[in-house]
Amino acid sequence: QGLLRRAVSHSFLSFASITGACRAIQKLTRVRVVDNSTLGNTPYHRPPKCIHVYNKTGVGKVGDTILLAIKGEKKKALIVGHKMPGPPMTPRFDSNNVVLIEDNGNPIGTRIKTPIPYILRQREGEFSKVLAIARNFV
Amino acid sequence: MWRAVLAGRRLLRPVSAAVGGAPRPELPPRVAGAPRGGCAAARGAGGGGAGALGAVAERRRSADTVLPKFNIDFVVALLRQENAKDICVIQLPPEIKYCNYFIIVSGSSTRHLHAMAHYMLKMYKHHKEESDPHTQIEGKETDDWLCIDFGSIVMHFMLPETREAYELEKLWTLGSYDDQLAQMTPQSLPEDFIFGLTPNSSDHLETRT
Repeated sequence: QGLLRRAVSHSFLSFASITGACRAIQKLTRVRVVDNSTLGNTPYHRPPKCIHVYNKTGVGKVGDTILLAIKGEKKKALIVGHKMPGPPMTPRFDSNNVVLIEDNGNPIGTRIKTPIPYILRQREGEFSKVLAIARNFV
Repeated sequence: MWRAVLAGRRLLRPVSAAVGGAPRPELPPRVAGAPRGGCAAARGAGGGGAGALGAVAERRRSADTVLPKFNIDFVVALLRQENAKDICVIQLPPEIKYCNYFIIVSGSSTRHLHAMAHYMLKMYKHHKEESDPHTQIEGKETDDWLCIDFGSIVMHFMLPETREAYELEKLWTLGSYDDQLAQMTPQSLPEDFIFGLTPNSSDHLETRT
């Protein structure tokens, strides 16, 4: 049985469990917004879904930007953790965590409660702002 | 009260030990009259610290530096030269393995922020050796928040409105006691959350063949 089954994102009470493909975050994955923005935390009848990954391959790992469809709007977001195991000695999360950012790179929320991996620092990209509003690191 | 209305002053005030894990207790002064250490929270009455910091030309040997020359004193001196407002330097304890110093600076306009950031980068490049990593300015497309990560020093250049919106000083000095964190509604797991990835876990609507 190579298929992994998992429960869907936490903030929405959906009762279906799906067999996820063994890739991190790609189009139509349901994600969990972990910052304290109003857009990410107000309940909606559909969970936020990824509609595009800004990557050569369509698979997003930690540190990639993706386009999310939230509450009928399109917003960019940064992946801060996924359920797929990554390189050794990196954390694996139980949910696909995402932080909402604007088009110019500023985070929309002001605080992040969930742990953020340290590998964001070594990656090329604009992560210092997300690290600055994070509380715990992993 | 978090707003330091003192132009270009580095405020040193040891935060009381009751505040959560982030602040470090005050280190014994290495140079007479200039106690250093603890978290420099931006507060209204930092008058005592300001006078003692006039002598920033003395190179205090700080243990945590990126380079022997490009250390925190140098950075603060450059910021004062640039007329940066509300310089807030926070020394993080080594448990937070992020950086050693966290600097937040306000500027008067977007151009001012860009100019300061580019100047700091230029001085870094001038002083660094070959083996040190390159640094880039993040937030060049934004007009209110830029930041540079120098390894052991992280600098944020923001406009005053942005600074008030994010309140980074509060987050990094107060740690868990930050009020914005407390106001975040605690998320609880929904009752159908299944912990673990066992293929045989019971699911609600899944039909097994």
